[in-house]
Amino acid sequence: MSPENFIDHVRAEQESLRRFLLALCCGNAQEADDIAQDALVRAYVSSGSFLGLSKFSTWLFRIAYNCYIDHCRKQRPETIPADSPQALNVPATEETDASFRHQRLYQALDQLPEKEKAVIALHYFEDRSIKDIASILQIPVGTVKYHLSVGRNHLKSLLQ
Amino acid sequence: MKNMDIDSFLRDNKPQVKEDPAFLLEVQQKMRAVEGIKTEVDRQRRHGRIAVITALTAGLICGIIVTLLAYLYPIDPESVSEGVISSIRTFIGTWKHFLLVPVIGCAIALWFAIDSPKSASSRF
Repeated sequence: MSPENFIDHVRAEQESLRRFLLALCCGNAQEADDIAQDALVRAYVSSGSFLGLSKFSTWLFRIAYNCYIDHCRKQRPETIPADSPQALNVPATEETDASFRHQRLYQALDQLPEKEKAVIALHYFEDRSIKDIASILQIPVGTVKYHLSVGRNHLKSLLQ
Repeated sequence: MKNMDIDSFLRDNKPQVKEDPAFLLEVQQKMRAVEGIKTEVDRQRRHGRIAVITALTAGLICGIIVTLLAYLYPIDPESVSEGVISSIRTFIGTWKHFLLVPVIGCAIALWFAIDSPKSASSRF
């Protein structure tokens, strides 16, 4: 894959990829973009091994998810208690309902296990099919359905 | 948020990504850096490969010459004199049947060295 070809593919996928990582990083845009950059470099380095057996975006998301897991292992993020003043500090630029809802959502996502968070993000935010999610996370379809169901219930109880 | 419909809540509240033109530029910059590293690794590999092939070729040629000499001019044990050269000749003469083993080893190693991938890009 030529660099130009790779950049064209990335241009088409970058927003979706960054949104997925933003959800995994619970709203930390800086961290999400750093992981996205790392994932794209890794993808470029191994683009020779991309055989086209799966969609480019599936392959890219799989690399991004692995980068995110590596990042979590290397540097366990500070967990902020959901009721701490820092956690409740809604970005002050626009005190809208939407930003408040996003903040609540990020706080809830932060309390989910990694797999559940990833499944929820891919299914609801990226509109990925169960089969696609299974391919990205490299787990069986049944496990994806299980994580989706459990994650949904967890989120519901956290948000209510 | 009592009795909320979690599905529609999640779909309606997708995380918002800010437009960032610098993001792709940074990716392109890193891609160029990767290309630079690939070129440097390729260069070092090529140099290492040339050194290994040169050493193995020299070893193979010397081995063949020594083996031929050992068979063409066998040493008469009676005429052996003192000295390092004579000792080496006697040693080679005694073990000449086994000289082909390192020569064949050298030839096989040379074949592998020539046949190995020429570019580092195959590893990336």
